[in-house]
Amino acid sequence: MLASALAVFAAPRAQGAESWGIEGERAAIVKGKVVDLLCEISGRCAPDCGGGTRQLGLIDADGKLLPAAKSNTLFAGAVVDLLPFCGKTVEADALVIESPRMRLLFVQKLKGPGDKEFKAAEAFGDQWTKKHGKADEWFRKDPDVKTVIAADGVFGIKGLEPAK
Amino acid sequence: MFRRIVLSTSLILSGFALGVSPSPAAAETKAGQRVTVEGELVDTWCSVTGIMFATGTAHHQCAIWCAVGGIPVSIKDKDDKTYLVLRVGDDDVSVANPKIVKIQTHQVTVDGELIERDGVRYLLVDKVADDKGIVNLTHDDNGIVPFGE
Repeated sequence: MLASALAVFAAPRAQGAESWGIEGERAAIVKGKVVDLLCEISGRCAPDCGGGTRQLGLIDADGKLLPAAKSNTLFAGAVVDLLPFCGKTVEADALVIESPRMRLLFVQKLKGPGDKEFKAAEAFGDQWTKKHGKADEWFRKDPDVKTVIAADGVFGIKGLEPAK
Repeated sequence: MFRRIVLSTSLILSGFALGVSPSPAAAETKAGQRVTVEGELVDTWCSVTGIMFATGTAHHQCAIWCAVGGIPVSIKDKDDKTYLVLRVGDDDVSVANPKIVKIQTHQVTVDGELIERDGVRYLLVDKVADDKGIVNLTHDDNGIVPFGE
């Protein structure tokens, strides 16, 4: 079950954004300026889009603000991929999710100003590997994850354990 | 709908002014709507897309992974409205913020500022007024799948 679920999370690296079969998804090349969401909506700005501490998004050609929620690394966001382009216009090969709950962007590939080719949006994984070493599933090895899970368990309630 | 507008416009402005630390951008600050929201802290991607069907205990480990991985955290209320959290208290960190990571999937009540734009409800949390812990014991129905093992 877990393996099949993870396979769903692992988007293939084909040309163009890969469909995940999500209701309301639309594959698109979204061209837009990289912005710090908090700064954009409230005026609470910080240098360098917060330097990786803040959620980022794109303002597209229609002036719409799209939060970038997901990158092409399993269980990771797109901040590390977008941060080098703070304030600049990029092209994201992406899935736009149009849900009644929220509009979101899943950045699968990215092309910065002057780039000739799209590059897979996997900067989080690359950065994690440099810091912690190679792991097939970073999320099982991450020290911060381990700390939280060790405190309260996989269910988040002390003493509650998976059935054997 | 559990969201409640709790203050008038005048209080919005005065309260917001108190909550904003001095900065060059302060003069450009845009005021939102003062609200109280009760709901479950969720991973935004999994919850909005429906990829992760479970909530509470069955979602917990997945939600931790995603939050540490920098995917935005939201609060989903009982009416399925989803609020993307961009600030907690005086802390503007919304990427893998330990304050949020450690209470993922908890049922919380927060006071804050709501700003809606282009189909997204952004929430600037002033304080977590109540934390009931995890109340959705979905493991009874769904076991620990997915992502629990």
